[in-house]
Amino acid sequence: MRAKNNNGMGWLFASPYLLYGLIFFLIPLGWSFYLSITDWNLIAPVFHHVGIDNFIKALKSPGVHAAFFVTFKFMIVFVPMVIASSLIVALVVHGLPRFKGLFLIGFFLPYLASGVVSSFIVKGFLSYNSPVNTFLRGQFGLDINWLGTPLSALLLVAVIIAWKFTGYYALILTSGFESINQEIYEAAAIDGVNGWQRFWKITLPLLYPALFTTLILSIGVTFGIFTEVYQLTGGGPNFGTNTWQMEIYKQAFQNLSAGYASAVALIASVVTFISIFIIRKFLEMWGKRNGWT
Amino acid sequence: MAGHKKKSLTIRYIIAFLLLLIMVFPYLYMVLNSFADWSQVDRKLIPTSFTLHSYEWLLSGGQSAEPRPWIRAFFNSLIVSTGSTVLMMVTGVVVAYALAKLQFRGRNFLNNAILFQMFFPAIILLVPTFLIIQRLGMYDSYWGMILPKALSLWAVFMYTNFFRAIPDTFIEAAKLDGASDWQIIFRIILPMSKSITIVVFLFLFMERWTELLWDMIVVKSDNMLTLNVLLSQMFGPYGGYPGPMYAASVILTVPIIILFLFFAKQFKEGMQFTLK
Repeated sequence: MRAKNNNGMGWLFASPYLLYGLIFFLIPLGWSFYLSITDWNLIAPVFHHVGIDNFIKALKSPGVHAAFFVTFKFMIVFVPMVIASSLIVALVVHGLPRFKGLFLIGFFLPYLASGVVSSFIVKGFLSYNSPVNTFLRGQFGLDINWLGTPLSALLLVAVIIAWKFTGYYALILTSGFESINQEIYEAAAIDGVNGWQRFWKITLPLLYPALFTTLILSIGVTFGIFTEVYQLTGGGPNFGTNTWQMEIYKQAFQNLSAGYASAVALIASVVTFISIFIIRKFLEMWGKRNGWT
Repeated sequence: MAGHKKKSLTIRYIIAFLLLLIMVFPYLYMVLNSFADWSQVDRKLIPTSFTLHSYEWLLSGGQSAEPRPWIRAFFNSLIVSTGSTVLMMVTGVVVAYALAKLQFRGRNFLNNAILFQMFFPAIILLVPTFLIIQRLGMYDSYWGMILPKALSLWAVFMYTNFFRAIPDTFIEAAKLDGASDWQIIFRIILPMSKSITIVVFLFLFMERWTELLWDMIVVKSDNMLTLNVLLSQMFGPYGGYPGPMYAASVILTVPIIILFLFFAKQFKEGMQFTLK
């Protein structure tokens, strides 16, 4: 019954969240639904209710189609890339007797980079007269317009983001490796388990929780790509890197179609929510079926 | 056998070092090019001739009408990032204390609400949040940049998990001695939470320091721009002045790296907890 005395204090201490949740979650959420059925243009005092017109327009628009597919393309490219690179780093670093912490700190540094800065560096590094392109032209006669084709632009953005997150995920995976008891390996070695079996039967199952975390985090990242795309391609070429955030930003703050952008954002949220839910369930099932969790 | 092991260890150190070199190469490239002679910027893998020209160009105002917008932008970033981070830490601690250590009706509901909101795709909130800030008269102001980022669900979540691991006996003992909840937070909880506080602080500050989208849409005046936004706008789509672009990138990146390295040891210790 002591619990009762605390009611006031509890709500008082929780009040920052209540206030914040109201002003920056519930009200905008409702407002967003309302905006999505209007044709408001962010400035004009008058607007009309247009029913589901925005949604119909959005579902037919090339920008929205692109955003839907580009997100999954990023996922297909970026997730294996960043998991592989962070696994390599973790594999190399986790057993080092000395300087392990120093290495991990070093690998974490890219996480501190602003997407604007990393985009600039890549842009400069791959500019027409850069050493890389001069070399490629001189030696192989290759004249690559890195940001000019949808595929290479998408790959570049994926590489930049993978560079940023590798050290962070390596930190998670390293602590996963460290939680594996070395005696298990020794026992397995006595039983004659070879390298590949060892990885599949021992390392992977025991690493699975850490791997699951990095997978979920990296998949989440693909739904929120903006800065690098804004800085490097503006969503192009030919919508080749047009992410949800890019599309919504363009519609709301460049075309000033607040109503339409809200409809797109609503679609984006539903797609994101469902996709992550399905992928998560799938990963959990995969782990369960193999007896990893 | 021992010799073999030693040799393979040496190879591992060499591989680790090479990997690290690849990972920090973009930073090296940025720093070297910021000091490179303008004729060599982006022309050489490792520049050979150095100058301070790029930095002088920036600090004299460069092509901008306003003198020294970079210094102003640097302080804008500092104000916004610090204000926002401090608020996110305070609200994080206070709310987490309620959720972890106070018994009250509706606590479970709040816990679930926060979890739900954490996994809710925030993109849907962008346009209306902008409108709310506008209606509150905070468009083009520091508060407009700070207030929507005054509470971090992630910080609440991290602190709640950490506080739950602190035994209630400490708190009950303090309450018997007549300590208030505030005193318990400041005298008992926070001193026990140093490592997690460093981790939360660094992640929040890094994220805030490198924010682009929100700071870009909520600010209009040149003298309100954060460093990241100014950088993005000045050297945007058409490039030009690559040397100063690298110099400005250095000015944006170096403070956050220094801050991180300063707390690196505690950060590593704190991460051990968060990753368990």
